[in-house]
This record gives sequence, C-alpha cells and structure tokens, in this order.
Amino acid sequence: MQEKRHTSSHYETELREVKNGLIYLGALTEKAIQKAMNSLLERNSELARAVIKDDREIDQLDNELEDRCVRILALRQPTAIDLRFITTAIKINGHLERIGDMAVNIAEKAIMLNEEPQLKPYIDLPRMADMVGEMIKFSLDALVNNDVVLAEKVRHKEQVVDELNEQIFRELLTFMMEDPKAIHRAIIIMQISKNLERIADHAKGVADMVIYLVTGESVRHQGCTEGEKE
Amino acid sequence: MKRHFFYKTFGTYLVIIILSFFVLNLFVRDEIKKIMTAQIEEQLMTSARLIDLNSPKDISRQLQQITGISGARVTLIDVQGKVFADSEKEVAGLENHIDRPEIQEARVRGRGKSVRFSKTIGVDMLYIAIPINEGATIKGYVRLARPLHDVKEAGEKSYNSFFLALVIVAFISLIIAVIFSYRLAAPIKEMERFTEGLRRGTTEGSIIIKTSDETKKLADNINYLVIELKNRIRLANEENSKLVTAFASMTEGVMILDADDKIEAVNRALSSMLASRYEDIAGKTLLEAFRNVELQQAFLKFKQTGQSVFREVALGDPEPVILNVSISGIKVESGNAKTMVVFHDITRLKKLERVRIDFVANVTHEIRTPLTAILGYLETIRDGAINNPEEARKFIDIILKHAQRLNRLVEDLLTISRIELGEVNFHFEDISPADVINNVLPVIDPKAKSKRIEIDNLIPEKLPLIRADKDRLTQIFVNILDNAVKFTPESGKVSISAEETNGFVLVGISDTGIGVPKEEIERLGERFYRVDKTRSRDLGGTGLGLSIVKHLMIAHGGKMEIESQLGRGTKVFLFFPVMK
Repeated sequence: MQEKRHTSSHYETELREVKNGLIYLGALTEKAIQKAMNSLLERNSELARAVIKDDREIDQLDNELEDRCVRILALRQPTAIDLRFITTAIKINGHLERIGDMAVNIAEKAIMLNEEPQLKPYIDLPRMADMVGEMIKFSLDALVNNDVVLAEKVRHKEQVVDELNEQIFRELLTFMMEDPKAIHRAIIIMQISKNLERIADHAKGVADMVIYLVTGESVRHQGCTEGEKE
Repeated sequence: MKRHFFYKTFGTYLVIIILSFFVLNLFVRDEIKKIMTAQIEEQLMTSARLIDLNSPKDISRQLQQITGISGARVTLIDVQGKVFADSEKEVAGLENHIDRPEIQEARVRGRGKSVRFSKTIGVDMLYIAIPINEGATIKGYVRLARPLHDVKEAGEKSYNSFFLALVIVAFISLIIAVIFSYRLAAPIKEMERFTEGLRRGTTEGSIIIKTSDETKKLADNINYLVIELKNRIRLANEENSKLVTAFASMTEGVMILDADDKIEAVNRALSSMLASRYEDIAGKTLLEAFRNVELQQAFLKFKQTGQSVFREVALGDPEPVILNVSISGIKVESGNAKTMVVFHDITRLKKLERVRIDFVANVTHEIRTPLTAILGYLETIRDGAINNPEEARKFIDIILKHAQRLNRLVEDLLTISRIELGEVNFHFEDISPADVINNVLPVIDPKAKSKRIEIDNLIPEKLPLIRADKDRLTQIFVNILDNAVKFTPESGKVSISAEETNGFVLVGISDTGIGVPKEEIERLGERFYRVDKTRSRDLGGTGLGLSIVKHLMIAHGGKMEIESQLGRGTKVFLFFPVMK
C-alpha cells in the first residue's frame, strides 16, 4: 500500500501513519517484554514496576490506532489491498496490545518471585524468553519489510516454544514433588512460562497477518506442514 | 552560424538594391518619356503650323510635305468634325472626329494634345491638334498623329541599363556580404566553440579574439566568467572534498535523513557501529530501521520543536551499542529540510564507568568483610574472652586468618597495579612451560585429592621454549589451576593440554566445573569481578586471581581467552609467544 500512490496524498499519509503506529507499538511491546524478563532474571522489582507503568502508553496507542483504522474504514471506504491492510492492522494492533498485557503479567509475577528466595537458576526460561523475543522481533521485521519468508520462520518457531513450555512444566513438577514449600514459586514460574508461550502465539498471529497482508492467503488456522518443521 | 550571418547581410542588401532599382526605374523612365513626348509634340506643332488652307489645291501636296518632315499622319477636320483630308487614309470611310480629346482641347485652348494607345499597331500614339483660324472664327482643325516608337524604345533602354546596374551592384554586395559576415561571424563562432568546449569540459584556458569591437568585449567577459567559474568550482570541490573526508573519516557515526525522513546516507563509522546488528537500513525511516522507542521519541521531539535533540540510546540486542544521539536539521535554501543524526559510541565509556563503580563497591566490600570479623572478635576478647585463654586463642586464630586475608588482598592489588604501571621487574628467561606446570601440580594436588578431582596432564614432551619470568609463570598456572579445582564439584576432572599454533604456545586448562554465563565471560578479568557473588567468596578467593593472570599474560606479550558453558565447564586458553 505504500508503493503505489493514491490520488489523495492525505489518504496516503493516513495509511502510513497507521503503519508507523503499528511499528512503534511493536517497539514498545518488544521493550516491555525485554524489561519484564530482565526484571525476573536480574531480580529487579524496580524494572518490573516500570513495565507495569509503561503499559498505559501501550493501551493508549492501541486505542488511538484502532480509532484511526475505524475512521479510515468509515471515511475512505478502502478497497483491495488497502482494505486488507486496514483489517490486518486492526488485528495486529490487538495482538500487540495483548503482548503488552502479558509483559505486565510477567512483571507482576516477577515482583512476587523477587520477594522470595530463588527456587532454582533459570536455564530454560531465559532460552524461552530469547526465542519469544526473537519471534516478536522477526514478526515486526516481517511487517516492516513485508517479508513473507521471515513471517514463515516465526510460525515455525512457535512449535519450539510450545515444547520448551512443556519441558519447564515437567521440571517444575519434580521440584514441587520434592519440596511442598516450592509449590508456590513453581506455580508462579509456570504462569510466567505460560505467558511466554501465549506471547509466542500472538507473535505468530502477527506473522500470519503479515502473510495474509502480502499474499492475500489466510494461514491462520493451518499448522505448518511436516517438512517445514524445525 | 557564418551562413546565417551571410544570408542576413546579403538578404538585407538585396532587398535594398531591388527596391531602389524599381523606384529609380519608375521615376527616371517616366521623366524620359515626358521629355521626349514634349519634344515630339513641339516638333509636330511646328509642322502643323506650316499648313496653309488658303491654297486648297495644294492641300494634298502640303500634307505629303508635312508627313515627309515630321513622319506623322496629318488629318484635316472641319468645324463640324468631318474629315476632309488625310495623308494616309481615304476620307470617305472616316467617322466624325469632333469628340476626340485633342480636337476639343484645341477648340477651347487653341492647341490640343492626347496620348492614346493604338490597338492596331500596339504602341502609344501622340495626337496634337490646332485650329485653323480665319480672323476670329475657327474654320477647321489640323491634327497630326505620330506613333511613339522611339519613346518606348528609350524606356526599354533605360530599363535594361538599370537592370544591368542592379546585377552589378548585387554582385558587389554579395562579395561585401561574404566578407562582412565572415568577419562578424568568425569571432562569434570561435566563442561558440570555446563555450561549447567548456560545457563539455574539453576546453581549457581562455579565448583570444583579434578584433577590437563589441565582440572583443564579449570575449573578455567570457574569459573573466570562465576564470571566475573555475575558481568557484575549485572552491566548491575543495569544500566538498573536505566535507566528504570529514564525513568518511570521523569516528562519530553520521546519518542523513531525506525530506521524507528516510535514511539517505550513512558514513563508514556508523556502518561499522551498527554492523551485524542492523542490515539494509538505507531507504527506511528511523522507526522502520531500528524500531527503538527512545530514538523514535527523540526524533518526534525534534520534529515537533525543530530544535536539536540529544539522547542516550541503546541499539541492538543482545549486545547493545550505547550511543549518544544528536538529531538536528540541515538548513537548505529551498526545498524540504533534511535531518542529520550523529551517533557517538559511548559503549566503552559506559563499560569503563561500570567497571570503576563495581571496583569501588567491590574493594570496599572485600576489605570490610575481614575488618568486621577482626573488629568483632577483638571486641569479644576485650569484653571478657581475654580471661579465657582457650577461647581467646581460638578468636585470635580467627583474627589472624582474616588479617592474613586482608594482607593477601592488599598484596594482590599492589601486584596488579605494579604490573599495570610497569613497575614489576621481570626476569625473562627461556623456559619450558611443561617444567613449570610439573612444579605447580604438587601444590594443587592435595586440594584436588580432597575433592576427588582427577588432574589430567596431557602436555606433550616436545614443546618450544617460551620467554617468561619463572616466578610469574608459576603464579599464572597456580591461579588458573586453583580456580579450576575450586569451581569444579567433587569427582570432577581438570585437564591440561598444550600445543604450538601460529607462533604461540597454547596452554589449555579445562574443567568440568559450574561454568560461567556467556554474557559475563568478558568481565572475568576485572578486579573483584565475581560471577556468583555468594559462592566464590565461600571458596576463599580474593577476586583478583584472574585479573592478575590477565595482566601477567599481557606483560608476557601473550593473552588469555576463556570459553565456558553454564553447568558444563570452563576452558582457559593461555597464549605464550614462542621464543625466537
């Protein structure tokens, strides 16, 4: 939608503003996740509180973007690729906002964990966080560059994150069986892991939308084919 | 060009010549005709007056006579207009002549004249008439008619000579036009060729014109302009190359954004700053290229206020570069303004700052711990334990242990700063690293045995000698092996290997210990840097061992590298330059 020129340059600007808004929202959520995970790994509750505070900006931008999209739908009645862009923008906006909320969840859990001694050194959790961070980064890169190949990569990573989540689950289970006092902390860590897994789902959602935006094909409810699995 | 001039000059001449020919021809021919006609008229008049009507019998003879003199046709007409004698035609067939203009004029004025074109012979005819008087009354008229052949001829002759003159003048003017146009066009043509060459960049120097009129002035002006232009271009080029060199060679990263806020140019410093972190940023906006919240906020602030914005920004994951970014506008005379973004890499500065802060915090902590213990036990002794020699002795032992620890700490610190300041005297000699390690092993052995750690010495027999200070080399191996044993759990394994590579003897010491997180490896050589703040102090180190090794290796012209995997173990590589 940005390559072709519209007769109305104002319309052009409106569309570009939506895209810029999405990228900026992406940058904000990316940062939120990073900070939330750092607050957990470095046991820094101050950082966690900053994440919770900064979420207000994400929510605000989410509302603003949605308003913009609706206004364009109503006033410009976009067709063809523009219509596809606006509808996907609304969806991507939703995904990103949810990712922001998950970051807040993780930050809240981190504060709770930081008040108790560390249960165990985190090994799989940082790996999972790295992978999820990469998924968000790739899906946003794909959005910026309209890169379908990169979006496909994100879709494949989701599987790996799922497996990591299960692995963390099993490991924590053994901790809980060994020591009932660990149960509380273990459950919180499980929730964090679950949150990361859901962030991965949303990142995949963004990637799906990029694929739809570029190719016009909906891949949302298709798994990846066997050959494509990593 | 030359032709143009020729056509223009010659054309103008030709028009003037032809016009003057026609005008002259018209006036002169008319005048000649008039004069000739008047002469003939007078001649005829004189002839006409010779007629004497008083002797009618002679009339026919008289007519013949007059015709003979004047070559004219003579007609006699009575008052009614009836012709009663003619020198050429039969009187009977002739019509009444009373309404002829010459007769009418003669009746009124006493003499009449008329020029009429005769269709029968195809020339103008001159008619003159005079009345024949008898007293006061008119008895009749004499009319003489003569064709004006000679007048026509004279006209034609004058026309011909005029035409000849025209051709001659035209030919002369052609020659003049050629010469003139050549002389006018040549310098202009020269200037044209010169300026054309300048435009293409094939001509140099200045133009020389030999004339001294306006073209000379024009040429002088062109020469002046050329010199001026060359100067300006040279200045602009100089200015430009200065800027380009500055842009390329400055250590700060510089980026230019075009009017649409897209990245237009990036200098080499910035490319290398961002290398491996961002690819393909040309043509994107800052937001698209970096997707960094702080940078975008700074940019938006600049866009809103139009004033330069400074901000500290960390770009790139997982090892960010920390940059001082300044965003300012580039003023342009016309068109949309561009933006300049300057990046100053302060990653190293930040790191050093961090090291310094950590060092101060660590050193106070390291010193305070034994001091607290010493003070505590001393107070206990003073407050009563002094009376219980057995207790007191135990406490004093503890105090001594902590004091020794403090002493060791200070010693180590001194060693490092001395090495750093170059105040340590090394006694370099050629030694075999294998010998030194064999001497060190017995020192480490008891500690290893107590943890059931197996030490594998895989050093080959034949190794090149290295140039080193024996005592310092011993210290290096003690420190590294001590660390390896210290951080390896019971029943682990430590192995020592060595080989020669690329002019270095490489000694590798690997353990199956707890390992070090990847992001902390590069900080291991820092003074007091501890990966696990609680555990390693329990193991009794000062936190300076690796730092000393690092500095000693540098003093030996070698280096230390560390590889590690969390939970798997650590490998320390020591590179010693081979003795030459």
